[in-house]
Amino acid sequence: MDSTNLNLGTDEWVAAHAERSAGTPGPLDRARAAWEAVPLLVRVLLPVVLLALVPLAGSSYLTRVGVNLGLFALLALGLNIVVGYAGLLDLGYVAFYGFGAYTFAMLSSDKFGLHLPTLVTVPLAVVLTAAFGFLLSLPSRRLLGDYLAIVTLFFGQIFVEFAISGDSITLPGRSQSSDLTGGSDGISGVDRFSLLGLRFESDAYYYYLLLALVLLLTLAIYRVDRSRVGRAWRALGQDALAAEAMTIPVNRLKILAFVVGAGIAGLSGAIFAAVQRGVFPSSFDLPLLILVYAAVILGGSGSLAGALLGAALMSLLPEALRQPAYGEWLFFVLLCLAAVAVVRRARPLLLVAVGTVVVGFVMNAVLLAAGVQGLPAADWTQGLLSRGMGRWLFVPVDRLHWGNAAFVLLVVLLAVASRIRPAVRIALLPVLLWLATFVWFVRLSPEPSLTRQLLIGALLVVLMIVRPEGLLGRKQVEVL
Amino acid sequence: MEQFAQQLVNGLTLGGVYALIALGYTLIYGVLQLLNFAHGEVYMVGAFLGYFVMTGLGGPAAPVVPVWLMIVLMFLVAMIGSGLLGVAVEQFAYRPLRNSARIAPLISALGVSLFLQNAVLLLFGSQVRSYDTPRYWPATGAPELAGVRISPVRILVVALALVLMLALVQLVNRSRFGRGMRAVAFDRDAALMMGIDVNKVVVLVFFVASALAGAAGVMVGLVFFNVYSYMGFLAGLKGFTAAVVGGIGSIPGAMLGGFLIGLVESFTTVYISSNFASVLSFLVLILVMLVKPRGLLGKAAIVKV
Amino acid sequence: MPVQDGEGARAEALALRAVSKSFGGLTSVDALDLTVGEREVVSVIGPNGAGKTTLFNLITGVYRPDSGQILLAGEDVAGLAPSEVTRRGIARTFQNVRLFHNMSVVDNVLAAMYGGTRTGLFAAALGLRSARREEREARARAEELLSFFGTRLMGYRWDQPAYSLSYANRRRLEIARAMATGARVLLLDEPAAGMNPKETHEIADVIGRLRAEKGYTIVVIEHDMHVVEGVSDRVVALDHGVKIAEGGFEEVALNPQVVEAYLGRGTAGTK
Repeated sequence: MDSTNLNLGTDEWVAAHAERSAGTPGPLDRARAAWEAVPLLVRVLLPVVLLALVPLAGSSYLTRVGVNLGLFALLALGLNIVVGYAGLLDLGYVAFYGFGAYTFAMLSSDKFGLHLPTLVTVPLAVVLTAAFGFLLSLPSRRLLGDYLAIVTLFFGQIFVEFAISGDSITLPGRSQSSDLTGGSDGISGVDRFSLLGLRFESDAYYYYLLLALVLLLTLAIYRVDRSRVGRAWRALGQDALAAEAMTIPVNRLKILAFVVGAGIAGLSGAIFAAVQRGVFPSSFDLPLLILVYAAVILGGSGSLAGALLGAALMSLLPEALRQPAYGEWLFFVLLCLAAVAVVRRARPLLLVAVGTVVVGFVMNAVLLAAGVQGLPAADWTQGLLSRGMGRWLFVPVDRLHWGNAAFVLLVVLLAVASRIRPAVRIALLPVLLWLATFVWFVRLSPEPSLTRQLLIGALLVVLMIVRPEGLLGRKQVEVL
Repeated sequence: MEQFAQQLVNGLTLGGVYALIALGYTLIYGVLQLLNFAHGEVYMVGAFLGYFVMTGLGGPAAPVVPVWLMIVLMFLVAMIGSGLLGVAVEQFAYRPLRNSARIAPLISALGVSLFLQNAVLLLFGSQVRSYDTPRYWPATGAPELAGVRISPVRILVVALALVLMLALVQLVNRSRFGRGMRAVAFDRDAALMMGIDVNKVVVLVFFVASALAGAAGVMVGLVFFNVYSYMGFLAGLKGFTAAVVGGIGSIPGAMLGGFLIGLVESFTTVYISSNFASVLSFLVLILVMLVKPRGLLGKAAIVKV
Repeated sequence: MPVQDGEGARAEALALRAVSKSFGGLTSVDALDLTVGEREVVSVIGPNGAGKTTLFNLITGVYRPDSGQILLAGEDVAGLAPSEVTRRGIARTFQNVRLFHNMSVVDNVLAAMYGGTRTGLFAAALGLRSARREEREARARAEELLSFFGTRLMGYRWDQPAYSLSYANRRRLEIARAMATGARVLLLDEPAAGMNPKETHEIADVIGRLRAEKGYTIVVIEHDMHVVEGVSDRVVALDHGVKIAEGGFEEVALNPQVVEAYLGRGTAGTK
């Protein structure tokens, strides 16, 4: 190769450094490039138009899913500011969601006989939640990230406990206990929204409201990200000491991030209360918090689009899991993705696929020979796969014990596989794939909520190890 | 007065448990600057292991070995099992993140905590298991002190907790491993350069910390009987709080914090309301954070720019 | 408040009076007096551990002095938060470059303009005209600042993440960032560290130009005596937190106490 043609060291060559060092673009990078090639206006309008059509499809289930997605997206956007921009690990974030919901419920229901107009209660809920966030952030000011995590985690717990035992609180100056929060039964009979004379009769109204709010908030955050405050947040997330030395009042900005995040959560909470027509303490506990965190981290902490994508995934996937048919497809898609991620090249992939099929039939034979009783395919799968799968996968009658044993074995093997040489790992893959399918159909698919938690937990660990910047985040470089 | 003394005993028992959990947190934080959220789950697994040993040996009604042996075995299996689990978690979920940003192991720890909790739920179901201690260790013949009956179980628990703590202090201050531990806690890179096998130290620290948590799990089972998959979260949180209140990274701090939180909880439960036990512990945490951000016995860090 | 004595001396930009700081039992800075006049370039030298960076940390508010005053244009800034001190007119660079590495070159500079700008959260979110105007002005100022360093930090480099810059460019960017804070006094902590002779020469040039063209008052910590010789109006030598010499370069460099501090006892007699 003639080196004079390489233009080494010239500005253009240096400028192309980022492209070169990115190496062979992986499928995700190619997807991103393709996406970014589409004109901005289309990129923004297309999803909006599609989303706007959802309630018109006539399925109230779908509309409700959309509403939940909207609520969740608001939460993700808010948490993204707290964690992604300012780098504050607030593990009590859903307490703000709950606070907004309860505030709305207390002001717009039969609980205290107050039925204040929506245009009063919602802003009030937002402001009060933000103020609440401010109060919480004050003692946390001097805390390092780790300490803040503990304090906020504890706080989130306190909130739920208070909500549960708030039906018999002895207020100072009263002899009898008061019922503030309705205890574990919560507050029901919460009013519907009524904006400017328009009563929100069905989920569709909330859907469009949320769609508008998510869009507006996204636009606002987009602008802030590119402005003075957004830069200051990112700077303090990068190096708080240096930021402080460069005129940025770090503590004040942390509090600001906290308060903004709280306000957004409060807004979402207020709408949630109206949609549900009630609030219950169990809605605001740890599982939801982890779901929101998973959404932000999976999407890419600090990335606006990432927060939205993560919210979509974390909101829709559990729905998919709930329907066994969708759950099955989802599982297979994930399995294939995992296989592709490990193997990468076409020919070995084919071998692995064949190997998996072989392992299946072999295990089938072994289990039958050992006298284990099996279930007919129709009992454990409703999908189109039942016919084919029935021959390949063996589901013992005693699902519990076999499932448990297989689960433990799978976890152990996965752990081992993460530490062995790639070549050996690929050889082990067919066994792992079959075992995963076995565990799924035998033990996990009948228990969607538990499975969801397991998968999220595993996802968080794997994500941090393999791709900490999430799907749409930018890889953060640490210069030492 | 009787009530006071009774709560004192309860508080000390609970405090001993929290102190053991807090010690685990503090040890791991000291060495890796990591808040091991999964620690509470390790404690829970320890409780389960103790339970399974008990049922395996015939159960509360008809143990096949003498009671004292059964209890010894429960502790041994729980401590070793929990210790190994802790090491496994470190190896697979934290080690690959040793040089990543601070937030990465924290998120990973959250994930591990979630996974472990639900794995136990999957494998063993949501029904509450009971150690049913009075069945094989009746509280009759309990010694009396200031008009308060102190059951032998509680005496054992407090005594064992103190013994373990003492052993730990000896380990940290007198042994070679302890020296290595302190060196790594002080400056990991320097320790590495001085020929200390940092990885081995970390593995051992995790084992010890998790073993202590496992012991705490069995203790809780013996004293409070109930064992279930969610018990790790709340106990972990309290243990955390205790470690932070005492000064994270400080061993005497963890012990002080543990007993303090235990006493606060016991007294609050009785004198105010059981609903507010957690709230008060939280307020203690906030108060300490405001007045002494490094914890009661923590050392102020000097920022080197 | 400008101080003028009969010889028409410069106004005092920065003055330390009897500043002391100890960490535990270790005295890092011991009753230090230091004056820097406007548009002066003063170099602070001394062996490692002499307290030079601690001095910078004290001035910029990272540490609070145990005693003494730190006067910036006559006003005592001791004990103020670092962001406040910088806002009052002193900015620094760090011994180990502490840029916002995952932010772009221009964002690094813009971020430091926080103290001098006013666009709040809501103004930005609503896209108000005042916000957009301020942003435009800030970018123009950033361009002006970065162009001070020639083409090195200009053009396509603007949007590149700071970590992708060469080491020398990163040091330059740190100086540009300090300038962006609007400060009039710059504290440069080993600006030539790790640079080759050509880059070292350029940095010395930059320091000279900062004073001559932009009117900055500059305090430099340096180990490279070529730089010290080339840029300083005055040199201050520290050892164990105490000022052991002050004056012109030749005077200080030949001072036996200074030689001893650097090279050890017994070498004071040699040149």
